[in-house]
Parts: sequence; C-alpha cells; structure tokens
Amino acid sequence: MFRFIHSSDLHLGKRFGGFSGDLPGRLREARHGVLGRLADHAREQEASAVILAGDTFDTETPASDVRRQALTEMGQHPSIRWVLLPGNHDSLQAAELWSCVAAEAPPNVTLAQEAEPVALARDVFVLPAPCTTRRPGRDTTAWMDAAPTPEGALRIGLAHGAVQTFAEEGSTEEVIAPDRARRAGLDYLALGDWHGAVQIDERTFYSGTPEPDRFKHDRPGEALLVSLNGARALPQITPLATGAFQWRTLDLQVLSHDDPVDILRSLITEPNQRRQTLVRVLASGHCRLARHAALVAHAEDLSPDFAWFELDMDGLALEHEVDDLDDIERSGALRVAADSLLREADDTSLSSAERAVAGAALARLYRRAREMTS
Amino acid sequence: MKLDALRMFNVKRFADSGVSIEGFGDGVNILCAPNEAGKTTSFEALNALFFVKHSSTAADARTLRPYSGGNCLVETDVTTPRGRYRLTKQFFGRSHAKVLDLATNQILSQADEAEAFISDLVQGGAGGAAGLLWVRQGVTGWDRRPKAEEDSEKNARTNLLQSVQGEVETITGGRRMAEILSATAASRAELVTATGRPRAGGKYAAAIDLRDRLQAELQRLDTEVQALREALDRRASIQRRLAEVESPEERQARLEAVTAAEAAFEDARLQHEALKTLEAELNLATERRSAVLREHDQHRDALARLAALSADLQAARSRHGESVGRRSAAGDAEKTARAEADQAEEAVVAARAALDQGDAAQRARDAVARSQAHRDSLAQAIGIRSEIETLSAKIAAARVPSDAIRDLEALDVKIVRLTAIRDAARPSVTVEYEAGAQARLQLDGQDLAGGEDHGYDGHATLFAPGIARVHLRSNRPDDPGQLTALEDARRVLLASIGVGDVDAARARQTQAQHLEGLLGVEKARLAVLAPEGIDRLQEIVAADEDIDPGLLDLDLDRDALRATYEAAVERRRAAVASLGECETIRSAADAAYVAAQTALAGLEAQEGQIAAILGPVDTRETRLETLAGSLALLQEAQVEAQVKVDALRGRVTDLAIAEAALRRVRSVKEAAEREVGSLREENAALNAQIRTRSDEAVEEDRNEKAEALAAAAARVASFEHEVAILDRLHGALDAARAEARELYLTPVMTELAPLLSLLFEDAVIAFNDQTLLPETLIRKGLEEEVACLSGGMREQLSILTRLAFARLMARGGRPAPVILDDALVYSDDDRIERMFNALHMQARDQQIIVFSCRQRAFQKLGGAALQMTAWTP
Repeated sequence: MFRFIHSSDLHLGKRFGGFSGDLPGRLREARHGVLGRLADHAREQEASAVILAGDTFDTETPASDVRRQALTEMGQHPSIRWVLLPGNHDSLQAAELWSCVAAEAPPNVTLAQEAEPVALARDVFVLPAPCTTRRPGRDTTAWMDAAPTPEGALRIGLAHGAVQTFAEEGSTEEVIAPDRARRAGLDYLALGDWHGAVQIDERTFYSGTPEPDRFKHDRPGEALLVSLNGARALPQITPLATGAFQWRTLDLQVLSHDDPVDILRSLITEPNQRRQTLVRVLASGHCRLARHAALVAHAEDLSPDFAWFELDMDGLALEHEVDDLDDIERSGALRVAADSLLREADDTSLSSAERAVAGAALARLYRRAREMTS
Repeated sequence: MKLDALRMFNVKRFADSGVSIEGFGDGVNILCAPNEAGKTTSFEALNALFFVKHSSTAADARTLRPYSGGNCLVETDVTTPRGRYRLTKQFFGRSHAKVLDLATNQILSQADEAEAFISDLVQGGAGGAAGLLWVRQGVTGWDRRPKAEEDSEKNARTNLLQSVQGEVETITGGRRMAEILSATAASRAELVTATGRPRAGGKYAAAIDLRDRLQAELQRLDTEVQALREALDRRASIQRRLAEVESPEERQARLEAVTAAEAAFEDARLQHEALKTLEAELNLATERRSAVLREHDQHRDALARLAALSADLQAARSRHGESVGRRSAAGDAEKTARAEADQAEEAVVAARAALDQGDAAQRARDAVARSQAHRDSLAQAIGIRSEIETLSAKIAAARVPSDAIRDLEALDVKIVRLTAIRDAARPSVTVEYEAGAQARLQLDGQDLAGGEDHGYDGHATLFAPGIARVHLRSNRPDDPGQLTALEDARRVLLASIGVGDVDAARARQTQAQHLEGLLGVEKARLAVLAPEGIDRLQEIVAADEDIDPGLLDLDLDRDALRATYEAAVERRRAAVASLGECETIRSAADAAYVAAQTALAGLEAQEGQIAAILGPVDTRETRLETLAGSLALLQEAQVEAQVKVDALRGRVTDLAIAEAALRRVRSVKEAAEREVGSLREENAALNAQIRTRSDEAVEEDRNEKAEALAAAAARVASFEHEVAILDRLHGALDAARAEARELYLTPVMTELAPLLSLLFEDAVIAFNDQTLLPETLIRKGLEEEVACLSGGMREQLSILTRLAFARLMARGGRPAPVILDDALVYSDDDRIERMFNALHMQARDQQIIVFSCRQRAFQKLGGAALQMTAWTP
C-alpha cells in the first residue's frame, strides 16, 4: 500500500488586501501554517508524501521570505517527501521562482517541472503535468497516455487546471480531459486549481485548498489522504481537516413572518469558533422596519465576535405597515417625513435606486426614532 | 430663574476692589449710572458667570481681568422653582466654581458639576435659549457679527421655539424631530460638507482618498508587474536565444562556414592573380602589335608623301629661276634711268645761271629808277626787322626744326624699310656661261647654274675649275648694326629737340607755327617794303648808289633764257619719274625672289625630314615588307593571348563574391559572439532587475492592493449610499419641518402682536425660515425689509422679538431674565416710552434687568432702581 496526501492551491504569500486590521496578517500566517498541519497529518496517517497539485505560491515572483520559509518548513519534516507542481499562479514561466526553489529546496522536496515520470517510491511513479505558462491553452495531461512506467507500478497523475470550460465557445482541448485517469491508466489523478474539494470520477479528485481564501466554495479547508492498495485498485480517499479559518457565506432568507434575527442566530457558529471565522450574511426576502432594524442592530452586535462579519442586505426588501410608521410618530412633522419616504419607497415611477434610498432612509428614521424612544 | 443679586471682585475697572448690586426684583429692574460706572462690567461679569467656564483662560475670560491682573471673582444669587442658590466662579488663579444652597447654606456642587448646574439654569449656556435674551449694547440681531455667534444665536432661537412649543409638539415633532434631524445632520456632516463635498478629514473623504491612493498605487504596481513580467519573458527569450546561439552544433557550423569561405576566397584570389598575369601578357602583345602597326603605316605614308613632294620641288625650283632673271633685268633698267636723271639735273643748273644774270641786269636798271622809294622802305623795314627778331627769338625757343621731324619720319621709314629689304639687299652672283662652255663655276662647292642669281653672306668662294678660285666678300654691314645705328640716330635727334617722341615734336612745331604766323605778318609787311630783305634793300639802296655800270649795259634775252630753263626742268622731271618706275619694278622683283626662295627652302626641308624617316633609298621598300611580316606575327600572338584570357576568365571564381561570402560568414560568427555578449549582459541586468522586484514582492503587493482597492471602492460606494440615505432623510425631515414651521412661529407671533401694536399700528412681522429672525415688516399693506429700517426700529424689533421669546419660555415653565445693557440707544423719546410700556407689559411674569447710562430718559421706565455698592468677598 502506498499512502500520500493530496493537496493544492496553498497560495502562499497571498496578502488579503481586501481586509483591514490584523486579519490579513492572520490569514497570511494561516496559509503558511497549513504546511505544518499537512506534515502532521502525514505523520499521523503514515503517509510518505505530500503532493501539491499546483499554485503552492500565489504569484510567480513571491517574496523571498515566503519562498524560503515555506521550503524551510518542508525541510523540517525530512521523513516526508514533498512534491511541488507548478500551477497557473506559479507556472514554469516563473523561471526565477523555480530556479531559486531548485537551489534552496531541501532534499525531501521534489520539483515536478518536467512532463516525465518521477519515481516517488519503488514502483510508484508520479506523472506530472506542470503548467508551462499561466494559460497553457492545451491539455497538459495528454502526454500521460503514452508515459512509460514499469509493469505493475503505481501511476499517479499530477496536474493543475480545469476539467471543463465555462466559456460559451470554449475548446475542450484547452482543459484536462475528465477521463484522463482511464485513458492513461492512472491509479489516481491528483488535480489542483479548484479551491473546493471535488470528485470527478473514482480516480480523479480535486483536493481543494487546505486553507480557504474566499467565500466562494463555502467548504472548510481540507486535504485528501489517498491510499493505493496496488495497481488498478480503486483508491481510498479520506478527507483531512486542515483549515485554520472558516469562510462562511450564510444565506439569510427572510419571509414576512420570519424574524431574521432568529434565523441568523441559528446559522451562526459556536462562539468559540467565531474568532477564526469570516462570515458573509446574504440577507434576502422581505421584512418589516422593526425586524430590519433589529437585524442591523444584531449584526452590529455580533460583528466584533468574528474575524470578519459582513451583512449584505441588498437583497432584503422592506415591507411597511402603518403601525411601523406609528412607531416613529403617530402624527406631526416626523410622521409627515416618514409618510413621504414610504411613498417614495413604493413609487414605481422612481428608479429602483431611488426607491432603495428612500426605503433605507425610512429604515434609518425608524431606527433613530426607536433609539430615542428606548 | 430669577436673579437676586450680583457681586464681583477684581473685575475689569474694579481692580482689587469689589462691587455688589443687591435686590433684583420681579418685573423691571433698572440700574442707571453714568458712563464708566461699571454697568457693562456688571453685564459682562454676569455673562461670564453663566456662560464662561471657570477654568477658561480664553478671550471671554481675559476680558474680565484688570490691567493689574489677579483673580476675578463673580457671584450671583438666583431663585429657581427648586430653590435659592448662590453661584460663584473665580477665574485664573485658584479658579473654581461652586453652587451654594442658600436654604441650607450647603455647597451643592463644585467645579464641573457646578458648571453643569449653571448651564442647566440657562438652558444650554450662551448658545441656549437664555443667551438669546441677553442683549448687549447696540446688538440688534441684524448687524454683521462673527458667524459662530450668529449660528449660536440662531440655534438658540430654534431650540427655544422647539422647547417652548409643548402645545404644538405633537404637530411639529418637537424635540424628537430636532434630535433626529440634528443627529442626521451630524451624521451627514461627518461625511460631507453642506455643499455635499466629502468632508476633509472625514471617513468618506478618507475612504475616497484611500481608494484614489490605492488606484494610483495599483496603477504603479501594475506597471511594475508588467515590467517584471516583461523582464521575465525577455529573460526567457534571452536564455532560449543563448541556448541556440551557444549550442556546440551552431558554434561548429559557424566555424566551418568561416573555414570554407576562407578556402574559397583563397582559391578565387589565386585564380584572379593568374588571370591578371594573362591579361598583362595580352596587353603587352596588343601594345607591340600596335607599335609595329603604327611604324608600318608611318613608313608607307612617308613613301607616299615623298612621291607627292617631288613635283612640288620641281615647280618651286622653276619659279625660283624665273625670279632671279626678273630681278637682274630690273637692276639694269634702274641704272640707265639714274644716269638720265643726273644729266637732266646738270642742264637745269646751267639754264638757271643764265636766267639769273639776265634778271640782274634788269634789276639794276629798275633800281636806278626806284632809288628814293628804296631808302624810305629801308627805314621802315629796319623797324619791322626789330619786331621780327623778337618774334624770331621766341620761335627759336619753340621751334622744332622742320627737317628734324622730317628726319625723324625719314628715320622711321628707313628703319621700316631696312627691316623689309634687309634680305632683299643680300649680295649675289649671276653667271652667264658662254655658249659651248664645258666647265661650270662652283660657288662654295656647288655648281652654279647659268642665268641664276646666287646669293651669299659674308665670304664665299667662286671656283672656276682649271682657271681660278675667286674669294668674294660682301662689305654690307650687318643688318642689325645698321638698324641699330638708325635707331640710335633717332634717339639722339629726339634728345636734341628735347622731346620724347615725334608727336611731342609736332606739338612744339604747331606752337612755333603760330608764332611764325605772326612773324609772317611782319615779314609780309617787311616783304612789301623789302621784298628781298633789308640787306637786299640796303644793297638796293647801296646798289642804287653803287650799281655796276656793266649791268646797266648788259642786254640779254630773258624770255629765251627762261624757255631754256623750263625745258631743262621738264627733262629732269621726266628722268626722275622714269627712275621711280624702275625702282618700283626692282623692288617687286626682289620680293618675288624672296618668296620663291622661301618656298623652295620649305619644300627642301620637308624632303629632308621624309628622307630621314625613310632612311636610305635602297632599303625603303624592304623595310616596308619587313614591317608587314612582323605585324602578322604579332597579330597571331595577340589572338593567342586573348584566347587564354577568355578561357581563364570563363572559369575563374568571382573574387568579390568570394570575399562577400567570407565577410558574411565572418560577420555571422562575429555577430553571434557579439549577440552572446550582449545577451549575457542583458541577462545579468534582467537577473538583477527581476531579483530586486521579486524581493520587493511586487506581484503580491499588487494583488494585495487590488483586493484593498476593491474593498476601498466598496467602502466609498457604501459611503455614497449612506450620504444618499442621509440626504434623503434630512431632506424629508427638513421639508416636514418647514411645513410645520409656520406652526412653530405662530406662538411667537401671538406674543409679538400686542408688543408690536404698542409701537406700530396695523403692523405684522414675517420671519425668515432659516434665521428665524423678523425679515419683513408689513404696515398698512406695505412690506418693508427689516434690514432696511432705521437702526432705532431694528433695535426695537429685536428687543420686542426677544421679549416674545422670553414670554414663550416663561409660559413653558422656564422663565429666564431678560437683560438689556444700554439697549434702546437709538430710540427717540416717543418710541422709548412705548418700549418701556412693552417692557412692563412683558414683565408681568418676567424679570427684566436694564442697564443704562441715560439716567434722565430712563427715569420714565419705572420699575425697581438698583444701586451699586462696594463689596469685599
């Protein structure tokens, strides 16, 4: 049996400029820390190798400290064989990067820079398909079909890129053939590029990133423990948790009778995990002024608990009832102002932006009035 | 709140002293005192107590301090619905504030708590409603003041209205509306200015600034990244190129190409040298053939020319012989004519002498007849002679001897002539052989032909074979010597005349001729008197007296003598003419001889030249044949050489092409070496550039900035949305409040109307929506701008409006004292009394305190009179 850990898309050195405060630093440090966590898993699972399927570095010219510290960390685990494949972010076009890595890499680091079999262990070969450029424009795994390996040896494909194109007239020749494992007689095809773990077929897997870096995939960071029990045996795949931070997109769907605050409470993680969680709440549906104000207030109250908290209420429409306006003022100038804003919010002759502004202004008036009352 | 007493110590003019005003009552209170008594000081001390923090050292506190310095103490007793209190503040050293409960004599609060207590009493301090009611001297509300002060008062009016309108709060929103509007405005003001521009230093402006900075930074980093990528691409390209250029195969191929090109060039060079040798041989053969051809043609032409010249020579010699004959005949004729001329001259001389003797005899006879007349004429003639002598002396000085010019001209002619005939005058020998003579004379070894004129120069030898050798010698001087003598004679003659040339001599002669004209006149007179001269006349006179008697007796035929003489003269003329003709003929014969001799000599010279070319006569034809043979041989050699050249030229490699090929492959090799060097240098530079940029992590930096920019742009958009919301909310609130503002002002108008009626009949005031100040005064249907009213009216309206506000406060349960410091200074006596009535009308439930220096005018105000007394804390 041969065991290894399949991971990809570490994007070391990514800086997270969209955030502020100390969060970018924490996120950056977490990416570096994933190397140690992968090594720990490898030792625990008796895996002899960690295969990184591209995009180990976020750019083609990472800072020297990022590069050196990563290699040093790998060198700290000499019993583990690290295999680094150039991805689209750190393609072979980054000659400077790979020449430096080659010069600085500790002995247990193997650079998969050539499309030729690399012996990983006795009768275990990795067939790498490095990205020669940022967009190679071809199926880099095509060569694997005819790649010679000894009879009975394990063939592990290693590639980085998409298996389908999303372009309307995209050529399938530019993506990795989804059935490459079958065509090339691979025992396992380790893919990178997709940041969420995905199984393409029984031998083909995207590991996803071990440390999420965006809200898109809404999966915890994980790597795949791959166990090969011999040539042509189906691989056994075991996900391993590796992420230090969780990136969660919470879909807050509110109906008229719902209390958005209750819904949000049900979605929120336990308090002890909040510091390591980035949350984006996407509110949608309809709610009345009082609940709208309550949701905003609750979000403001929750926000400091999390590494990042964002409430997007663009999709949440306001519903207005007379008694909502009575909460502002039953009569007088305040009521006149509230009535005028309500009329505007419901006036279909105005643009949606104008109506949204009027509705938000009414919500703001409601909140201020309620604050004064309380 | 009502004031009960005011005390102050060491305030302004009360340096190190104190004063107190006790006994403030309800209604109107008045403190009348002259200028410099301390009224305004009291007002300012009271104002500072209520509106200036005890810890303040700002201008409003410093105004209290006397020139001598020290601490300022102000104290007042007040009555409020909650109790009576003593408020004390000390400014500057050991500054403090405290509130004493007069009922318990306990300190109620101190320091900041005391300040808060006092602020609450006046409802917000100077910016509060109470501050509005304190009117300083000359302040009407319309005068231009600092904006902060105007805004403060405006807020006070607004707050006052909002706070006192309890009965209309349900309509206007009251305090809640004000607070929401204020909070909204404050939120908006944090983001944007009144004109909607992002507020400097605010979050919105900071977000925009951050976004702009990030945009600029991103743009810079994009450029950096682009440069980095280009550098990476360029380096990759360089390295590929280096690998190509430096590959052993490429290097070997370049070396082999150079070697092959060098060998080809050497081969071509050798072929080229051989060709040049053959071409030189061809040129030599061609030259030799051309030389022989020229010699052959020259020989052939010389033979032809010699044949043609023989006829010419024969004709020339014939013409030469003829000219010698004609020249000899002309010489004989000339000799005969000259002898006849000499004989004719002698005959003329003899005939003349006979004629003269006949004339002398006749004159002797005539003299006897004219003896007396001759003596008179002699006397006149002597006088004329004297005149003639004078003229003659002048003429002598100017005269050029007539023969001198003639001689000069003659010398010129001779010189020309000698030059022309020098050759013609050459001595010659002509032989006429006897018929049947066997021998021939030889002149200088040459046979002399008969009848020919043979010339010679200097010495010559005439040889008569078997007879004698005759040595001939020409004594003719050398022509050049004769000519020189003539030219020397001409120079001497010119020198003797004293002129440089013939023309100058002629000019002198002209002058002399003029004098001679004059002389001629005198001479004519003399000639009339003495036709034959004075001497002659004297002789005649003497002769008259001494006549040869023999003459008188001589009887000769004068006509016959004359006829003889004229015949002799005619003979001499004819002889001279004949001589001239002969001389002309001789001259022509000489010229013809010279021409014939010259032509003959020229032809003989040509014959000599051709003979020299042709060589000996007997070898001439053989030489022509030899040359023709050589020419044929050389022609063959030339053709053979041409064939060799053409053959080699056809197969020789073009040296220029071989050299160009060699240059090309060498340049390829050198260019490759240069390119390698250049690429290595560029590669090194790119390495440094890439390493530097990599160390700076420009890509990571760029991605970070891109994400930060997206976040910043979202934040700016969020602020824009927030501003839009606040704008809309503020607009809605403002519009609602404006709608209700008329309702706000209704109570003020209610309070103001009776006050106005005290001063103006049928007067209505309209307020400005923004300033809440009276804007227009409408009287009897006429609308007037308050700002255009007189100072007195503006002042009165200001006070009445304040009284109306004070009434509103009082009705709202928060009465505040109205304090007027030297107000109504512009009001006339009639109006001031009406204002007093207004004050009293409002003072029913309102404390009004008036400070004035117009003691007499304000006597009619009534109310409680206040006094200032000395006070020490």
